[in-house]
Amino acid sequence: MIRSSLALIRGLWLSWLQYRSFFFILAFGWLIPPLIYLLVWSTAAGDQAIAGLTRGQFVAYYLVLILVNQATYAQTNWTVGDLIRYGQMNHILLRPIPPLSDALASEFAGKVVYLAFDLPLVALLALILRPELDFHINNGLAFIPALVLAWALRFFWGYWLALLAFWAARADALLALQDSLIFLLAGQVAPIALLPPAMQTLAKILPFRYMVAFPVEVLTGQVDPANLLPGFAIQAAWLAVAVLLSIVLWRSGLRRYTALGG
Amino acid sequence: MKPLRLVAAFMKASFQEEAAYRSNFFISITTSVLNLGTGVLGIVVLFGQIQSLQGWDLPSTLTLLGVYLTVSALRSLFISPSLEALSGMDGEIWSGAFDFTIMRPVDVQFMVSLRKWRWFASFDLLLGLGVLLIAVIQLGITISPAQVIAFVLALFSGVVILYAILLIFAGLIFWSPGVLFTWIFDGLFQMARYPLSMYPGWLRLVLTWIVPVGVITTIPAQAITGALSMQNLALSLGLALVLVVLASAFFRHGLKRYASASS
Repeated sequence: MIRSSLALIRGLWLSWLQYRSFFFILAFGWLIPPLIYLLVWSTAAGDQAIAGLTRGQFVAYYLVLILVNQATYAQTNWTVGDLIRYGQMNHILLRPIPPLSDALASEFAGKVVYLAFDLPLVALLALILRPELDFHINNGLAFIPALVLAWALRFFWGYWLALLAFWAARADALLALQDSLIFLLAGQVAPIALLPPAMQTLAKILPFRYMVAFPVEVLTGQVDPANLLPGFAIQAAWLAVAVLLSIVLWRSGLRRYTALGG
Repeated sequence: MKPLRLVAAFMKASFQEEAAYRSNFFISITTSVLNLGTGVLGIVVLFGQIQSLQGWDLPSTLTLLGVYLTVSALRSLFISPSLEALSGMDGEIWSGAFDFTIMRPVDVQFMVSLRKWRWFASFDLLLGLGVLLIAVIQLGITISPAQVIAFVLALFSGVVILYAILLIFAGLIFWSPGVLFTWIFDGLFQMARYPLSMYPGWLRLVLTWIVPVGVITTIPAQAITGALSMQNLALSLGLALVLVVLASAFFRHGLKRYASASS
C-alpha cells in the first residue's frame, strides 16, 4: 500500500514537471482572494481594533489562513468528476490498488508543490506586514488535529459532490457552489466573529467553517477553551457524514458506471 | 467593410458553438450569480463593521464593484476567449495550430483579438450594470447626460487599457511557451474590485504604474459619480491609446519569434 502510493506520487510529480509553472500559477491564483481581504481588513484596523482584532492580528490570521486554505484545498475533487464523465475511470478501476489511493496520492503530491510556492511567499509577506501572533503551545497542539480533520472533511465533502457525476453530467457546478460557500462562511471574507449574526449562525452549523477557519482560529487563539471540544465534535460529525456519503455514492455509482465513451 | 463583416461572422460562429452545449448555460448562470453574490456580500460584511474606509463608503465601493463586474463581463465577452484560444491552456501556440491562423489573409492581431465570442458573458454584463444602477441609486445622486457620456468614454478607455495589458501578457507566450501569463494577470486584476486606497502604498504603486489595473475600474467609477475631471478623462483616453500602440508593437515583435510547435 505504502509502496504503491509512493510510486503514484512520484509518477505524478514526474508528469507535472512538464508544466512546472502551471502549478505555481494555480497556487498564485488561490492566494489572491484571501490576500485581498488581508490587506483590506488590516487597512481598516489601522487606527483602531475591529471587534477586538488589531491590525497585526488580522495579518497573522490571514497569513495562517492562506496556508491552511492551500493545505486543505482538494484539487482532486475537480478531476474525479472529469474521470467519470470521460470514462477514464477504467484504468483506475483495473489497477490492483484501491481507487481512492489515486486521488489521495494526487492530493499529497499537489500539496507539496503548492506549499513549496506558498511558504516563501507567506514568509515574505510576514516580513513586510508584521503579524502579531500570541502563540501558546496548547493552541499549537490543538491546531494539528484540527488541520488534519479540516483537510479530511474538505476532501471527502468534495469527493461525494464529485461522485454525483455518476448521475448528472455537470455536477461540478456544486463544487463551484462549495467554493463560494467556503469563501463566505469559512473565514475568508472575514473572520467568523465579524460576520453579520445570521451568517455567523450558519457558519457555526454548516460544515464549511470546519474546513478552513476552525484550525486558523484555534492557532491564533480565537477559540475559547470551552468551545474547543464542541468545535472538534462538529468537525468530526460532519467528517463522518461526508465519508458515509462518499462510500454510499461510490458503491451505487459504480453499478451505474458504464465507461461512457471509454 | 471587410473587418466588420468578419467580426460578424466570428460572432455568429461562436454563437453556434456555444449553442451546441446547452447544459453549459446552467453552469454559466450559476457561476455568474455566485460571483455576484460573493462580491456584494464581501462589501456588505466589510461595511457592517466600519462606516467608511479611506473615504470610501458602502455605496461608492459598490459602484466600483459594479464597474469591475461590467469590465470583467466585457472582457469575457470577447477579449479573454479570443486571447485564451491563442495563449491559454491547449491554445494555438501550445498545439501549433497557430500555423493555420497566420496563413490567413487577415491581420494576425485583428484575428487573434476578435475571433472568439462568449455570448454567455452578456448575462454578466446585465448583472454588472444592475449592481452599478443599484449603487448609484444608493448614492442618491442625479446623473446628468454629460456624466453618462463621460462614463461611457471612461469605460471604453478602461476596456482598451485592459485589452492592451492582456495582449502584452498573452504575447509573452512567444518567449516562454507553456507559461499561462494571462492567468497571472487574472490574480492582479481581481484586486481592482476594491479601491486602490485600501491597499498598502507599495502595492498601490504597482497597481497604478506597473500593471495599471486600478485605473481600469476607478476612472469609470469616478465618471459616473461626477468626481472625474475632464483632464483625467483625457489622460485615461491618452493612456489607452499609448498602451494599445505599445502592446501592438510588442505583439508584432513577439510574433517574429514564433517557430511553430514541432521541430
